[in-house]
Amino acid sequence: MNKKLAAAFADGKAFIPFVTCGDPTLDTTREVVRAMAQAGAKVIELGIPFSDPTAEGPVIQGANLRALEGGVDTDKIFAMAAELNKELDVAMVFMTYGNVVYHYGIEKFAENAARAGMCGIILPDVPYEEKDEFAPAFAQHGLDLISMIAPTSEDRISMIVREAEGFIYLVSSLGVTGTRSKITTDLSSIVAKIREVTDTPIAIGFGISDAAAAQFMAEIADGAIVGSAIVKIIEKEGTQAAKPVGEFVAGCVAAVSKA
Amino acid sequence: MPTSPNTRPSLKFCGICSPDDLEAVNEIAPDYVGFVFFEKSKRKVSSDEARSLRAEINDEIKAVGVFVDAEPTFVTRLFEEGTIQVAQLHGNEDARYIERLRSLTPALEIWQAFEIGCAANIEAANRSNADFVLLDGGKGEGRTFDWALLGKVARPFGLAGGMNVENIGPALTNCQPSLVDVSSGIESSLTDSQGKPRKSEVLMQRFMRIVEQSATPAQASTQTPMQISKKGKHMTKNTAPQSNGRFGVHGGQYIPETLMNAVIELEEAYERYKDDPEFKAELKDLLDNYANRPSLLYYAEKMTHDLGGCKIYLKREDLNHTGAHKINNALGQALLAKKMGKTRLIAETGAGQHGVATATVAALLNMECHVYMGVEDMERQALNVYRMRLMGAEVHGVDSGTGTLKDAVSECMREWTNRIDDTHYLLGSCMGPHPFPTIVRDFQSFIGYEIIDQCTEKEGRLPDYVLACVGGGSNAIGTFYPFIEHEGTTLIGCEAAGRGIDTFETAATINTGSLGIFHGMKSYFCQDEYGQIAPVYSISAGLDYPGIGPEHAWLNDTGRAQYVAITDDEAVDAFEYLSRTEGIIPAIESAHALAYAMKIAPTLPKDKIMVITLSGRGDKDCVAMARYRGQDISE
Repeated sequence: MNKKLAAAFADGKAFIPFVTCGDPTLDTTREVVRAMAQAGAKVIELGIPFSDPTAEGPVIQGANLRALEGGVDTDKIFAMAAELNKELDVAMVFMTYGNVVYHYGIEKFAENAARAGMCGIILPDVPYEEKDEFAPAFAQHGLDLISMIAPTSEDRISMIVREAEGFIYLVSSLGVTGTRSKITTDLSSIVAKIREVTDTPIAIGFGISDAAAAQFMAEIADGAIVGSAIVKIIEKEGTQAAKPVGEFVAGCVAAVSKA
Repeated sequence: MPTSPNTRPSLKFCGICSPDDLEAVNEIAPDYVGFVFFEKSKRKVSSDEARSLRAEINDEIKAVGVFVDAEPTFVTRLFEEGTIQVAQLHGNEDARYIERLRSLTPALEIWQAFEIGCAANIEAANRSNADFVLLDGGKGEGRTFDWALLGKVARPFGLAGGMNVENIGPALTNCQPSLVDVSSGIESSLTDSQGKPRKSEVLMQRFMRIVEQSATPAQASTQTPMQISKKGKHMTKNTAPQSNGRFGVHGGQYIPETLMNAVIELEEAYERYKDDPEFKAELKDLLDNYANRPSLLYYAEKMTHDLGGCKIYLKREDLNHTGAHKINNALGQALLAKKMGKTRLIAETGAGQHGVATATVAALLNMECHVYMGVEDMERQALNVYRMRLMGAEVHGVDSGTGTLKDAVSECMREWTNRIDDTHYLLGSCMGPHPFPTIVRDFQSFIGYEIIDQCTEKEGRLPDYVLACVGGGSNAIGTFYPFIEHEGTTLIGCEAAGRGIDTFETAATINTGSLGIFHGMKSYFCQDEYGQIAPVYSISAGLDYPGIGPEHAWLNDTGRAQYVAITDDEAVDAFEYLSRTEGIIPAIESAHALAYAMKIAPTLPKDKIMVITLSGRGDKDCVAMARYRGQDISE
C-alpha cells in the first residue's frame, strides 16, 4: 500500500484530474500538472499515450495521437515525472495500457516509475484475471496497481476489491471515456457492495464533465476523476492550457470539498 | 565438427564485413561468423579488416575464414594470430591441400564446401578428408536444391547457399543438417559508410528464432491415416486452450473490466452449446444447405504438372456462399448469439469479407447488424460496403488511427462496452480475448476436418504439406488445427511481407513482430521500441493487420507450424498464375499461400501431397490487381 496515495484520501474527498503527457508538448504537460497541484488536486493521473487506446473515447484518443506525433515516449515521461515529483507534494499515478508497460519490461517500468516518485498505476486493459503478471513488480517497488470496477462487474466486485490497493476506480457507466449528458448507473448500490468488503477509498470516473457532476460523485464516493473535460481544454488552448486547466480544477476542487 | 549448445543445428552468419553489424551479431549470438577472403566477393575482407572485426566479436562466437584456393600459409597465419578458428575451403582444394594445411596447423578445424548439383559431388563430399562438409545449393545465388539428393549424404553436414528465412523452415524439416550457413538471406539492402553490405538485424533474429525452434523436431505421426475417424470429430474433441485461455504464453483476456462478464458469459454459452446435438444439427444444416459445405478438395492437375513437383490440391473455400471462409464463423457465432438471446450483431471488417458474411447471416437470422470499417477501407472496397447495406446492415466508418482494420477492431471493442446486453461482437478472426480465438478456430476447423476426410478418400493418406495464408489467421487455424496431432503433416502459414520484411511497409507479424499485448490478447505484434503499434501495409486488405492470433504465435513458438513471408509482387504473380493455369481467380489473400506453394512445390518429390487452402475468391481484387499492373478499370 503506497503511503502517499493513502494520505491523499486521508483528509476529505479527493479531486483527481487526468492529463495525457506530451499533449501537445511535454512542456505544456509540466505547466498543466503544476497548475493542477496548485489548484488543490489530491491525486493527479498522468496518461502515457498509446497508439491504440481501446478504452478511450474520441477526445482522449485525439490527445494520445497528438502526444505521440509530438515525439513523446515513456522515458521522456519518466524524466518529467521525476522532476515534478521532486517539486510538488501531490500523489501521482500513471494511466496507460498493458502493452506500454509489458513491452518496456514490467520490472524495469516499475523500477523507473518508483524512481520517478510515482505512487501507482492504472491499466484499463489489465483486468483482475491478468493482474498477477503486473502486480508483483509494482508491489515490490511500492506502487499500487489500481483496480477498476464497472457497472457490469456485479458478482465480480467482492473478488476484485478484496485485493484492491490505493483506491478503487469505479467506472461510472458503460462505454468508453468521454463526457456524457447523464449517468444512469446505480452507483450508490455498487459503492455499498464494495463497502461490504473493503474500506479502500473509491473514486468515480468516466463521463464527469463539470464541477457539479464531480461534487455529485464525491458525495457518493471518496473522490471524482475527470479526464476528457480537461483534455478538451488542452485541445482548445494548446500550449496555453495551464491557466484555464488550473481554473477548471480549482472549481472542481471547491465543489468536491463541499461533498 | 560444429556443436551447438543444445539440440538445434549450429548457425553460421557468413559474409560479415561491416563493423556496424557487430553489435547485433553479438546480441543474437550465432555459433559462427564467416569472413570471406575471396577477392571476387562483394563481402570480402582483408586480413586487417578481419582482425579488427574479430576483436569486436564475443569469444563464444567462432570465426570461420572462407577461402577459395588460398595459399595454405595465408590461412595458417590468420589462425595463429587468432583471427579465425576454422577454415572453410570453397575452391578446388584437394585431399593433398587439406593434408598440407593440417600438417602446418594441426589445431585448425577444416571444413570443405561442395556444390551439390549432382550425385558425383555428394560422393566427393562423403569421401572428403576435411573435418566437416558443407553442401552448397549454388554459390549463394539464392537457389536451393533437391532435398532427395541429401539422402545420399553419409556424414553430418552443413547446409549453405541461398538459405533465407523463407526456405530455412522447410530445409530443416526435410533434412537434418548439423549446421546452417546463411549469408545473402540475412542481408539488408543497405551498405555502410565504407560501402560494405550490411546485414539486417531483423532477419538475423528471425533466422536464429527459426533455427532455435527446430530444436524439438516434430515426430512422425504414429497414427495411420486410415485410423482417422471420418465423422464425429467436429467440435467434440477438447477444444479448450491449455488453461485460462492461453496458448503457451499467448492469448489471455486483456480487456476492460466492463467487458469481462460479457466474455465470461460468452465462454459459458459456448461450452454449453458446442456439443449440444440440436445446436450442432442446426449449424450443420446452415453450413451444408446455405453455405455450400463441404467445399471441394480439387486436384490442381495443371498446376501440379507445370510446377513439376509434388501433387497439389486446393481446398475450395472460395466456393462457399459469399465467396470466402468467413461465412463458417459468421454462421456459428450468429447462431450462438441467438441462443444467448442477443438480437444485435456488431463486427469489424477490413476488406469487407467478414462484414459481408456477418451482414449475410444477420439478414438470414433476422438480427440487427452494425459493421465497423476503416474509412480508408470503405473507399477501397466500396462494392462490399454496398453489399452490406443492401443486406440491411449499417456500415459505420472508422476514422480514428490509420482508418484500417486494426482501428475497426478497436472501435468494435469500444462499441461493445457501450452496449452489451443485447449485443454480440461477432469477431472475424482467431484473435481478441479468450474465448474468441478458440470459438473462431472451432467454427473454421470444418476446413481442416474436411481436408482430412477428402484427402484420405482420394489418396488413402493425409497430405504431407498444408498451406494457408495468415492475417489474423482464421482460415489457417481452421486448416491447421485438425492436423496438429498428425505430426507427419508440415503446416505452413504464409503472411504478408508487403514490400518486404526488411522494409517498414510490411504486415508480416511473425517475421518482423515482437511479443506484446493488444486487442485483448498477448501475441506477436508489429510495434516500436515503446510498444506503440506500428502501421502495417500489404496489398491485401485482409492480411493488413499488425497482430496474429495467439494459437498461431504458439504454433510458431513450438515449431509445429512455420510462418513464411510473401511479398506483394509474389502474391500478384500467384494471383495471375492460378487464374491462367487453372481458371480459378483466387483472393489476393489466398494468393500468398499459392505463391509459397509455387516456390517449394518444384523442389518436392512427386509422391508428396500438398493442400493449399484457397480461402476466398478474387473477383473483389480484380480492380486493384489491374491497377497494380498499371491498368485502370472501373465497374
